[in-house]
Amino acid sequence: MSAPANRPVVLESAETLAASVRSGARSAVEITRAFLAQADRTAAKLETYLHRMPDRALQDAEAIDRKRAAGEALGNLAGVPIAIKDNICVRGVPTTCGSKILEGYRPPYDAHVIERLRAADAVVIGKTNCDEFAMGSSTENSAYRITKNPWALDRVPGGSSGGSAATVAACEAPLSLGSDTGGSVRQPAAFCGVYGLKPTYGAVSRYGLVAFASSLDQIGPFARSARDTALVQNVICGRDARDTTSRAEARPIDLETLEEGISGLRVGVPRSILDEAGDGLAPSVRAAFEAAISALERAGARIVDVALPHAKYAIATYYLIAPAEASSNLARYDGVRYGVRRPDGDLRGMYEATRGAGFGREVKRRILLGTYALSAGYYDAYYLRAQKVRTLIRKDFLDALAASDALLLPITPTPAFKIGEKTDDPLAMYLSDIFSIPASLAGVPALSFPVSFDASGLPIGLQLVGRPFDEGTMLKVARAYEKEHDAASRVPAIVTAGEGGAR
Amino acid sequence: MPIDVSVVRKIAALARLRIEAAEEERYARELGSILGFVEQLQALDVSGIEPTSQVTEGARPALRPDEVCPSDARDEALAGAPERDGDYFKVPQVV
Repeated sequence: MSAPANRPVVLESAETLAASVRSGARSAVEITRAFLAQADRTAAKLETYLHRMPDRALQDAEAIDRKRAAGEALGNLAGVPIAIKDNICVRGVPTTCGSKILEGYRPPYDAHVIERLRAADAVVIGKTNCDEFAMGSSTENSAYRITKNPWALDRVPGGSSGGSAATVAACEAPLSLGSDTGGSVRQPAAFCGVYGLKPTYGAVSRYGLVAFASSLDQIGPFARSARDTALVQNVICGRDARDTTSRAEARPIDLETLEEGISGLRVGVPRSILDEAGDGLAPSVRAAFEAAISALERAGARIVDVALPHAKYAIATYYLIAPAEASSNLARYDGVRYGVRRPDGDLRGMYEATRGAGFGREVKRRILLGTYALSAGYYDAYYLRAQKVRTLIRKDFLDALAASDALLLPITPTPAFKIGEKTDDPLAMYLSDIFSIPASLAGVPALSFPVSFDASGLPIGLQLVGRPFDEGTMLKVARAYEKEHDAASRVPAIVTAGEGGAR
Repeated sequence: MPIDVSVVRKIAALARLRIEAAEEERYARELGSILGFVEQLQALDVSGIEPTSQVTEGARPALRPDEVCPSDARDEALAGAPERDGDYFKVPQVV
């Protein structure tokens, strides 16, 4: 864990930074200033944030330094800056979910994960850009701005948690939180070359996460190493009475177990799912996948063939279930209690005008689709049938994970695509979710980890899938891979470009 | 699967969502394309399969003790309202 003393703060791991604050080697203020300065150089170019909060962050950092001076024990994220996706409530801080309908909204409470982060002495530094209400795979559906991929500014960072992925990749923050409904943490993590974890459904309380599709939504961390990913997960996981789906089975991972290696561990490979993607699967991703299988074998893992026969139905299933739940969840945006109001005659006119003006195209499309799928005469054929197929998909995963300890599969069919490339064809955008959605429907944990770069220097990530409440095994596999090929140690040129370089 | 603009109008009304007339045609086309794609589920035999509405099976819904605990402060909850009248949210006339 020891690093050269002259290593720039912004390249340091969260674990090392927190340890240095606890030991007094560095102050929380010094660390926070370093990341804020980095973000000053790049955030406007990358458009990673919807709201930055440097003053508040420095106040919080000062309070942590005072705590240490007073001899109080500090938490596991002592003085470590963290960026928060804009669909997670932070008390008193604008929270828009990337939507015009919530412009000006300041939540009167902290989400559960924010309470946990503050209790661990982390420093919240801002709210990151995302697709409107987390609906999208490129962050182009934000009503406010288009975030750029730090590795290639003409490409998307992925989505919907694109700002959270890009800000960590650009070393503007060592850590961030996103939310993952159908891949919204894992896909941008892969596009930006960082780690992104979707915990088991029920592992993290969603209290204070703006609901999109409640049977799928999970909050998860982004980081630049397997250990840092585990460090955040350990802080945010566990039971919270305010989210009845959160479960006590979600327990912290002992970080030292990640160093044990993977000798004898069974890694299941569902090859048929690659064929489903067909020509859509980029040769560079296929090659990275095959190389990773060999690397894990060399590290001692046993590769096991497994099948996910119903995974090919996952996209169709998801695009019925998620919009159906969204159409119901988004009914609350009616211009009465918060956000924007457009008066138009009577109450109904006001509802229709407010929602018509406040929601963007993708959100409207999904509300319409969900309303259709739930409407009289179609419920059984669409929503109920999709829920039955979901049962089959989940069973596939549990069977495959009985024959193996974790699964390895791609997370995205291609590296990051160009800005504007898929905005005219919603179905084409949906089809790029082919590898992320199955694990979401199954409710099992899944981790996107960086493995390599393509010929043009774009990051490639792959995905591990674990048994319910076993995030540790996936992180152990990723850590074993990381020890041999640390793809996340490379940073994009934008980090060191410009005056003074990284400090 | 072709979707008629009259269907778009009907579901938009159900969702209390105003769609500009110029946009109806495009939504109809896009919904038709997505619904055509999800048709593949009809080919699957799901007889006797239980639906999954939540992946927390095997776990009883966790209940909390029925105790009085702090709720949202009224002023804070009302602070974000587009229009308020004292301690109430104000809406346009209903009847």
